Amino acid sequence: MTTPLLSIKGLQKSYGGKKMVLKGMDAEIFHGEFIVVIGPSGAGKSTFIRCINRMVDPSEGELLFDGQDLAKLKGKKLRVARSKVGMIFQHYNLIGRTNVIKNVLHGRLGQIPFYKSALGLYTSEEKSMAFHLLTKLGLGEHIYKKASALSGGQMQRVGIARAMMQQPKLLLADEPIASLDPKSAQVVMDQIHAITKENNLTCIMNLHQVEVAKNYATRIIGIKDGKIVYDDVPAKLTNEMIDYIYEGKEEEMGQPATGVEPVKGEFSYGA
Amino acid sequence: MERSIPLSVEKKAKTYLNLGLLMAVVLFCFLYLNVNVGDIVTALPNLVGFLVDNFMPPNFTNLGVYMGAVMDTILFAIVGTYISAFLAFTFGILMSEAMMPNPWVRGLVRFFISFLRNIPVLIWASLLIFVFGIGNMVGLIALILATVGFLSRSYAESINEIAGSKLESLRASGAGWWQILFHGLIPEFIPSWMNWTLFSFEINIRASAILGTVGAGGLGILIQTNLNMRNFTEAAALIVILVAMVLLTEAAVSLLRKRLSIGGH
Ligand SMILES: Nc1ncnc2c1ncn2[C@@H]1O[C@H](COP(=O)(O)OP(=O)(O)OP(=O)(O)O)[C@@H](O)[C@H]1O
Ligand SMILES: [Mg+2]
Repeated sequence: MTTPLLSIKGLQKSYGGKKMVLKGMDAEIFHGEFIVVIGPSGAGKSTFIRCINRMVDPSEGELLFDGQDLAKLKGKKLRVARSKVGMIFQHYNLIGRTNVIKNVLHGRLGQIPFYKSALGLYTSEEKSMAFHLLTKLGLGEHIYKKASALSGGQMQRVGIARAMMQQPKLLLADEPIASLDPKSAQVVMDQIHAITKENNLTCIMNLHQVEVAKNYATRIIGIKDGKIVYDDVPAKLTNEMIDYIYEGKEEEMGQPATGVEPVKGEFSYGA
Repeated sequence: MERSIPLSVEKKAKTYLNLGLLMAVVLFCFLYLNVNVGDIVTALPNLVGFLVDNFMPPNFTNLGVYMGAVMDTILFAIVGTYISAFLAFTFGILMSEAMMPNPWVRGLVRFFISFLRNIPVLIWASLLIFVFGIGNMVGLIALILATVGFLSRSYAESINEIAGSKLESLRASGAGWWQILFHGLIPEFIPSWMNWTLFSFEINIRASAILGTVGAGGLGILIQTNLNMRNFTEAAALIVILVAMVLLTEAAVSLLRKRLSIGGH
């Protein structure tokens, strides 16, 4: 048995000492997994994923990653650890008035000192890496456009490039396709899937659409009311289990009509 | 099964009650302050007569002197707004939850700024005259104090809005405070920074004209002295110039806004 990349032990969170949002979660994440987290709105999916890179501070528990407990890190050490975890956001969170290639280079900020980034002293390797990522994601001709001038799908691809620019050991994605039309959603899902597969990168992603989750994931984690109630391969996710996870919130399961499925190609898992 | 659909679920009675209360408050104010509406109406013809007899036609013989004062007034507003914009940016950051995690610093700066903001510019000028004596310096400092008070809070609100969402990505990539400020906040803040600053410039043009009335230089001091010396036609000329100046700067600012294409608030 290999050692896990990330081991989550007894993770708890309550915002401001009020009601518990995460009620003790345990999970071991292994190298190369593509994990999709599902669950109804308010179940704690975003809180769970944000605790991992400490965008939200956990109240209790351990996050063993790369030989250290992320939950205990502070200041500079926390920033160094964060720089090894890429994140993709629902609303892309690009700096709209800055051009595309600089947005991608922002992925390096955690790994270079302020004076270098401020003076634009990125190495030529860094610059060509940014360029190649953008070209690969089909944005080669837009690198000098303001980020705000792009379409939603294009913005999210810049978000992917920025996260990859970190050369992360782990990729987090919080509802990366929730703001996109079905066609762009398909493109973005395929690109995240392909790029993680190609780099043998571990990914944890929150999704609303159960069907999409089943199509891409190697493992699905179902969260209900702050607890992990399902943690296994997609094939074993029965309709009864789905009904249980979304009990009382059935309308949120997401329409399979959007039909986002992986392209069957060299990068896809046999779904 | 036709049924008439009400356009509002609020009760008519409640609306009338509110209206009645409002009238009562206004009435009370007039009675308490001993203001007689009749007096105001009957005095109106006298006022117009007085203005026409004494102030017409405006006397522009000293135009050269006046233009110097106009220049002073505009330069005050420009320099005052400029300096305030930089000071207020610093205070705005220190006041914003997103950029300043230490609640003590935040609270202290917040208190200081609301102190500045809640004292009107004319009061500041009157106070400062005791320190610096009559002159241009007082006007400028008063303007800066009031503007910093106003701008810091407006900036802090915009900064919080930006930092709450967009800067998350930089934080997640491990960027430090200065990197977040420089690569994220400043570029995103520029449009609202220009918007608020131009807005306060318009306010400052008017403020800087009025500051003279307490002896703090500019166009206002000329209006004040001419009124005191009963040089009404010259005062009239100065007032005409003041109005023209305000209208022109407003036009210039809205032109600038269009150029920068940042729109209104
Ligand atoms: N910053 C916060 N302060 C206080 N409460 C919060 C905060 N963020 C989330 N919560 C609460 O925590 C609970 C879980 O929220 P979370 O965002 O993790 O859910 P989610 O599963 O991601 O939901 P969604 O599918 O709607 O994104 C909710 O009840 C929410 O109101
Ligand atoms: Mg969420």
